[in-house]
Amino acid sequence: ESWDMPTPYGDSTFHTQNIIQFTDDIRAATDSGLDITIHSAGSLFPHSEIKNAVRSRQVPIGEFFLSRLSNEDLAYGLDSQPFVATSYDDAQILWNAQKPVITELLAAQGLMPLFSVPWPAQGLYTNGEIATVDDLAGLRFRAYNAALEEFATLAGASPVQIEASNIPQAFATGQVQAMITSPSTGVNSTAWDFVTHYTPINAWVPKNIVVVNARIFDGLDDASKAAVLDAAAVAETRGWEMSKAEAETQTAALAENGIVVYDPSPELVSGLQVLGDTMLENWQSNASEEAQKVLDAYFEAK
Amino acid sequence: MIRFLNMLYKIAGGLAGLLILAICLLISAQVMLNAAGRISPGLLPPTIPSYRDFSGFMLAGATFLAMAHTLRAGGHIRVNLVTQRFADPVQAILEGIVLTLTIALTAFATWYMGALVEESWRYNDLSNGIIPIPLWAPQSVTCFGMALLTLALVHTLVDLIRARKPVLTNPDEV
Amino acid sequence: MTDPMIATVLLGLLILLLAAGVWVAVALTIVGLVAITLFSNAPAELIMATTFWGHSHTWELTALPLFILMGEILLRSRLSRDMFSGLAPWLGRAPGRLLHVNVFGCAIFAAVSGSSAATAATIGRMSVPELTGRGYPENLIIGTLAGSATLGLLIPPSIILIVYGVATEQSIARLFIAGILPGLMLIALFAGYVAVRALMNPDLIPTETARTTFSEKLHASRSLIPVGLLICGVIGSIYAGLASPTDAAALGVLLSIGLAWSSGSFSWSLFWQAVLSATRTSCMIAFILLGAAFLSVAMGFTGLPRNLATWISDMNLSPHILLMALTLFFIVLGCFLDGISVVVLTTSVIMPMVTAVGIDPIWFGIYLVIVVEMSQITPPVGFNLFVIQGLTGIDILRVAKAAFPFFLLLLFAVVLITIFPQIVTYLPNLMRN
Ligand code: NA
Ligand code: NA
Repeated sequence: ESWDMPTPYGDSTFHTQNIIQFTDDIRAATDSGLDITIHSAGSLFPHSEIKNAVRSRQVPIGEFFLSRLSNEDLAYGLDSQPFVATSYDDAQILWNAQKPVITELLAAQGLMPLFSVPWPAQGLYTNGEIATVDDLAGLRFRAYNAALEEFATLAGASPVQIEASNIPQAFATGQVQAMITSPSTGVNSTAWDFVTHYTPINAWVPKNIVVVNARIFDGLDDASKAAVLDAAAVAETRGWEMSKAEAETQTAALAENGIVVYDPSPELVSGLQVLGDTMLENWQSNASEEAQKVLDAYFEAK
Repeated sequence: MIRFLNMLYKIAGGLAGLLILAICLLISAQVMLNAAGRISPGLLPPTIPSYRDFSGFMLAGATFLAMAHTLRAGGHIRVNLVTQRFADPVQAILEGIVLTLTIALTAFATWYMGALVEESWRYNDLSNGIIPIPLWAPQSVTCFGMALLTLALVHTLVDLIRARKPVLTNPDEV
Repeated sequence: MTDPMIATVLLGLLILLLAAGVWVAVALTIVGLVAITLFSNAPAELIMATTFWGHSHTWELTALPLFILMGEILLRSRLSRDMFSGLAPWLGRAPGRLLHVNVFGCAIFAAVSGSSAATAATIGRMSVPELTGRGYPENLIIGTLAGSATLGLLIPPSIILIVYGVATEQSIARLFIAGILPGLMLIALFAGYVAVRALMNPDLIPTETARTTFSEKLHASRSLIPVGLLICGVIGSIYAGLASPTDAAALGVLLSIGLAWSSGSFSWSLFWQAVLSATRTSCMIAFILLGAAFLSVAMGFTGLPRNLATWISDMNLSPHILLMALTLFFIVLGCFLDGISVVVLTTSVIMPMVTAVGIDPIWFGIYLVIVVEMSQITPPVGFNLFVIQGLTGIDILRVAKAAFPFFLLLLFAVVLITIFPQIVTYLPNLMRN
């Protein structure tokens, strides 16, 4: 059996490195009985189409950014809700709370989650130090989803819609003055070319997810099924470790290249937490039963 | 019937043109808001939510709605350096084959684009931007455009059979 | 079936369909369907529908109809004719005269647009009728247009450098900076070629106005002001941080409408003609792009480009031989796939071997763009060729023949940056310190 696996990310991303090992493990365990070819950098389908392509069995398996689905159900997007889960430990608790709920949601679309791996926590990039939330007021702030737009507005900043590839130019021309993103994205877009300060506020820990089409998976022989599930479990553990290592090396890389990396002041942290609480209230007023279930389970386990 | 069809292509083509103008106005409005935000922040809302999603969907609509109109105007590109060396009757037969093949393809594409609309409808698929847009809506416009292209191709095949000479034109050389 | 046989069958089918007069977009789609159906076990029909939908609503594509509309509006107002009469006295004594408008027009427009198809369509819309009317030879008009429009890819902003930067995690800012000097070099090469052709054969180029004094030239230049304002407005909005490059395209349309109206040579019916014409041209290009995207996805499923690249990789070549092999590989692939597809389909295999032999990834990005520029003007699948056929009705094979010298100039540019890599790396290295 040979499978094609689309992923939106390039080969050097640690997520892709992780799924390369995942497919190698399966190949080894099945004696090449199940051979998965990875198609990186969106070469098969645009990011927006990958989930539906797996659903309609155009490809058996695929990877995408989990909270892209939050318009379908807020339960998918809790990992991108600012200041809910802000450390790897919290993120792990959140994923444990999310997993049963989204497994059920995805099952309704004939999909089965295999594993999910987080990106490094999101930090704040600015020119000059941000001591309190008030310092964010009046800044043009990059917002690429509803949550960030709400966050920027609450902080008194102006949200600006900028695609990731346009970040350097947008900073250089003053179209945008602050952004929240991971240290990985900061390094990849050589953030030191256009900002001076970075602080790991750990606003949220978003995740990628690998899903397989349930009918195709059910059609595998038992040994292959076991091989896929085992490799997935290993890939999840390995991916979380890779993510932690990535957070450290990339934050260090920011500092090495001359960005001032500073710890957020207690005032900033508490101010951001207040914004996060307001946002969570709004979130809850729109949350489905499933999404509320995730949040309850998360707070209970925490 | 023929007048009705020609009217249909023209209306769809005109709608496509209006969609392109709408994209232009929507994006320009966002640029104006950016400028207003610089001059006096807070006076106007800073962003038009999901303006890029809307622009993209309007572009998809414009592309597919214009397909039939573009075909009838000879706007789609084909290589005719080889075929024009043949005598008219041979060219006409070749055009018949090309049209039949293309009709088969576009009918096939219309069917499966329809299947995509049906699937988006069944699962209530939404765009992932700030404003959730049900995907079946823009997708059905693209499917309709493909169906109209198929109709226009059949129309052209009928023209060919009636005229018994080549009918596929190319835009005039300058 | 072995890979070379599969490739031969598919190429043969594509050439047969195109030669029979099947529309380009349809021919590409049929070959894609055949490739997936015969050489992979994926459901071709659903993948076709997904690709047609998924690639028809992308943000990057949105700029295309807008830039084309801008060209149509300028053509129908007095502005484009005015621009040529304003430039004529200045270029009247330069060897090649107004042909340089194609080269420099494309270069300036390349600083606004990220794609070469949009550049060819917008500049060509104005320059082809004007230059033809003034009696310039057809093959030089089309050749300079087809060749110079490829600059849209190299001079920032550039869609393909963004795709490469995202796929390989290279800094897009550095890639953009690295594209500047090679871009200027190509402009010089193109302009130089026009000059040499004109000097070798002076009868080729029609005479412009008689000798003029400097003050007469300045006086004539007043007619350049509207177009100058337009260019400043569009580029200015980007550099003032008010607009992304796609946003700027929309602003360009509004500005051109305003200028056309204020020049007093515009009407509602001309405006609507411009809109419909732009709609048809962008529909034609988008349909081909969708067919090309589907063929490229089909190639992904069959694994052909990847296997070919792996085959090169297994030869363990030295850097210069490797670059020669890759150039050949990209030229062949670029005949049949569009440039962006070539990049996304092969980077997985090619980047490791490139870094293994110690080639700078920023340099390689620029190299790749120049090679992809070549693919825009090689038949049977070359987007500049399609755009120019759409503008002029001249068959793509004749356009390709006229553009061939520019293909060679691009190849020469590849040789130059290989011998003198500093042309690429000087500016980005300056940034690093
Ligand atoms: Na450009
Ligand atoms: Na080509």
